[in-house]
Amino acid sequence: MAISEQEVRKVALLARLEVDEEEVRSLAHHFDSILEHFGKLNELDLDNIDPFVMDETQTPLREDRAEKWELREDALNEASHRDGDFFRVPRIVSEEG
Amino acid sequence: MDFYRLSAHEICRKVKSGEITARETIESSLERINSLEKGLNALITRVDERALEKADRVDRMLSAGEDPGLLAGVPVVIKDNMCVQGIRTTCASRILGDWKPPFTATVVAELEKEGAIVLGKANMDEFAMGSSTEHSAFGPCSNPWDPDRVPGGSSGGSAASVAAGYAPISLGSDTGGSIRQPAAFCGTCGLKPTYGLVSRWGLVAFASSLDQIGPFARSIEDIALTLQVISKPDPRDSTCNPSKRPDYQSVLDQSSLKEKKVGIVKEFMDYDIDPEVREALEKTIEVARSEGAEIVELSLPVMVRYGLATYYIIAPAEASSNLARYDGVRYGISSEEEDLMDMYLKIRGDGFGEEVKRRILTGTYVLSSGYYDAYYLTAQKVRQIMTSEFKEAFSRVDTIIMPTAPTPAFRKGELLDDPIQMYMADVFTLPINMAGLPGLSLNAGYSRKGLPLGVQLIGPKWGEMQLLAAASVLERSFGPSLIAGGDQ
Amino acid sequence: MSLLFTPVIGLEIHVQLATASKIFCSCSTDYIGAVPNTNVCPLCLGLPGTLPVLNAKAVEYGVRASLALNCTVRNATRFHRKNYFYPDLPKAYQISQYDLPLAEHGFINITSEDGTLRPIGITRLHLEEDAGKLVHGTSDGRLTGASQSFVDYNRGGVPLAEIVSEPDLRTPAEARQYVSVIRQLVRYLGVSDGDMEKGSLRVDANISVKCSDGRWGERAEIKNMNSLKALERALEYEIKRHIKMLSEGKIIIQETRHWNDSQGITISSRSKEEAHDYRYFPEPDLPPLVLPDGYVKEQLDKLPELPWDRKRRFKDTYGLSEQDSATLTENRDMADFYENCLISGGSPERTANWLRTEVLRVLNENKMELKDFPISSHIIAEMIVMMDNRKLSNTAAKEVFEHMIENSSDLHSAMSLCDISAGGIAGDQLRDLVSKILEQNNDVVRVIRSGEDLNGKKQKYLKGLVMRETRGQADPSEVSWILASLLENN
Repeated sequence: MAISEQEVRKVALLARLEVDEEEVRSLAHHFDSILEHFGKLNELDLDNIDPFVMDETQTPLREDRAEKWELREDALNEASHRDGDFFRVPRIVSEEG
Repeated sequence: MDFYRLSAHEICRKVKSGEITARETIESSLERINSLEKGLNALITRVDERALEKADRVDRMLSAGEDPGLLAGVPVVIKDNMCVQGIRTTCASRILGDWKPPFTATVVAELEKEGAIVLGKANMDEFAMGSSTEHSAFGPCSNPWDPDRVPGGSSGGSAASVAAGYAPISLGSDTGGSIRQPAAFCGTCGLKPTYGLVSRWGLVAFASSLDQIGPFARSIEDIALTLQVISKPDPRDSTCNPSKRPDYQSVLDQSSLKEKKVGIVKEFMDYDIDPEVREALEKTIEVARSEGAEIVELSLPVMVRYGLATYYIIAPAEASSNLARYDGVRYGISSEEEDLMDMYLKIRGDGFGEEVKRRILTGTYVLSSGYYDAYYLTAQKVRQIMTSEFKEAFSRVDTIIMPTAPTPAFRKGELLDDPIQMYMADVFTLPINMAGLPGLSLNAGYSRKGLPLGVQLIGPKWGEMQLLAAASVLERSFGPSLIAGGDQ
Repeated sequence: MSLLFTPVIGLEIHVQLATASKIFCSCSTDYIGAVPNTNVCPLCLGLPGTLPVLNAKAVEYGVRASLALNCTVRNATRFHRKNYFYPDLPKAYQISQYDLPLAEHGFINITSEDGTLRPIGITRLHLEEDAGKLVHGTSDGRLTGASQSFVDYNRGGVPLAEIVSEPDLRTPAEARQYVSVIRQLVRYLGVSDGDMEKGSLRVDANISVKCSDGRWGERAEIKNMNSLKALERALEYEIKRHIKMLSEGKIIIQETRHWNDSQGITISSRSKEEAHDYRYFPEPDLPPLVLPDGYVKEQLDKLPELPWDRKRRFKDTYGLSEQDSATLTENRDMADFYENCLISGGSPERTANWLRTEVLRVLNENKMELKDFPISSHIIAEMIVMMDNRKLSNTAAKEVFEHMIENSSDLHSAMSLCDISAGGIAGDQLRDLVSKILEQNNDVVRVIRSGEDLNGKKQKYLKGLVMRETRGQADPSEVSWILASLLENN
């Protein structure tokens, strides 16, 4: 299955990656060869296979006890745009979530 | 003094007996690094001062009659995707900038608790994506045996550090072969434990269901010792096995391969493998046979034919999600864009290298609506078949022997323009991650050009004991790994 | 022939679970009024290298709510990642549940406008983590026009139960009632404070309108309704908008709209640049959540009596009116308080009266919660028992009650400070007091005895004097009886 440059741009936007025209071309090419590889999987009969086995391990549960983390200053200082107690971000055009 | 030649066991013993000090050990390592690092580029960040301070602390503990632990004064190198509080952690990427994590990975905390001393953070392929340590924002790392060749990857810096004698042990992470393949290329031992044996807390995630931390060392004895220290249960990692671990060092002396069944994979014997790698493999099988093992031929057709495709769907899918958090808001490089969307595009477009972008896009694509079933879900089903295939195999054998990589270390730049060919370097290692099994690469000799040749041993789930036992028998015959450029 | 329009409404309710710590880390959930970014740690800031560990209490609360909503709880479930970029989501994915939610296929009854019970289907209940909060750099705090925004991750990672209803609701009033039933329920269960204004209970609505000519408009998702009133108004507005569009033959597009409460309208808020593609996949950092054998049964046994069951029981067992049963079971603390009074001996009817009138009045006047009420159920009951035994009149009880509220004192010191004695004034003591009053009012006594007090007014006047003198501590019927006997007996 061939993937168009248009699709590469769409996926890049979804992944929030800026790609230039040359990258788009080379990525489309890469996608073509890797998807060809992926196509091999269709040779297998997978009808009765459960993709996610649930019985192997179980998630542990944590006791509900609140603890204070003391290094929030360090964390805030790592922000490129710290603003007082906040992390600052530039203009948001669309709502999400 | 050439203390850098010593094993972790020897250093610990000598430091504790007072024969040498921890400071002397570290100074010897730093000297070794100073003389070789320019050519190797195995370390992204050095922490000489911190290391000397920690060494002095070990020495003070000893003079005060306290026990500094199982790794007293032992220098270690940590792959730069494991967090150490206050030390820059980059994952060999531009995107993290000078980020200093405010917490320490469990494995590093355990090492330091036992008196080990961190020398620095090792070079790697960006976010552990690659097989050559050429995809690093800090420049490629060289193979200590031949500077024109790659050390393998992604944990190339960790492997090179041990091979070059910076430290007797180092930590790497292995998602599809990133410990075993560089171990083979650099002629060291490298163990990828069973998924869930070692805590991932503090390991920057690449593909969460495949990532596992493991040790490099020049002997199986040091591998066992390091594993003992780093493999404790950890309530901060929900995928970490909560059971008590066995005494890994106890199997080393008493082991033999009598009455053991060693499997070889039929399909891989027919595979296009470098002749010298094949020779090393055949020699290993012979040694196993002469040590009393019964050799059993196995067929693992699904793993062999579909492993690569399955891996290159699942790993990028998880990576695309794991790497979405690098957005320039809370840490890492900054941008002055005035619009959020522009900021995301810019930070991520500039911050990630080519290979990382390729995998993020592949992963985003295989998870996106309309393609999820065809790719991601299909790959997960194949993964289940591969897991059962291995399970069945281990009902018949104790250990499987196969090559670690199809070739010895390749030349720098050789595969850089051919990503798919680069992916093929992991064809023997990545199925092991897909099944969550332990795998160990062991040096089985050298090519005519002097390049190390590795073989891989695979064990059943939680089968580290039998894996280490088998490896130590083979090692007796091969001898421990040598230090590159060590004028032995 | 005119067209008929039927609104079809389904609600998604996000309920913050009242755990002490966040769902996947140990940070406090107590973020209201906290300094921004103080309840944070490497995990809930999305730092590289961190891993989630599930909070047992969040599971327990989720299961408890599921059972009360008559859902089937799954023994094995798992978490998924919902991937999207937004600054309030530090990992750029939300850990949520997708194909295997914690619970499914439930229902809850609401009372329709005609008084009958109507079951509303619950599609599913799943657990997920809350996002952080954005503060926008505009004077009105809204996104539009802000050149920058500020992120506070204190709320990020607070456990949420998302309760999705079937599209069974037909009117804004029904939707409102459904939400208030859910809110009452989660409060009863103690799994959430259910406060819409504070945002611990948030409602999104899906609404479409079916036309009698067979057309069925696309649905709109309405967000940003911060009170029951807002929910009702937004739905009313949307229904009108849909009907107008359908009447004019226009096409309704599927979109998300935000309710603007001050303008009383909904505004389309769908970003145009790309369709959403959340790329859900199983969260590899969390193995499946498997509930131990017997866990669900154990939680079922631990469920408190639900409000509607309790209300029916109050009516049936205690003979209370519909209104009193509803008022007293509105919240669990009040219902417990009532029943504790009964255990301490209070009579059902008088206790109900007292709680409904006096106690609720004090709570409302002081905007106080029952848990902060200064008088225990035991003391209230003791007072009511005295009234039941005619040892304390209603008037005296009120005086003592007020004294106890004001001074947080106990019953007996309040009574002695009010100069009211337990057991009241009765028997010989009362007879002496009445005789004294009669002596002081000889002229009135004479009138009565002469038979001129035909309508009994003078006698009532005397009784009033006695009652005033005893300050309500005498039983009025005993006073009447003594008065009558003394007046006759000369």
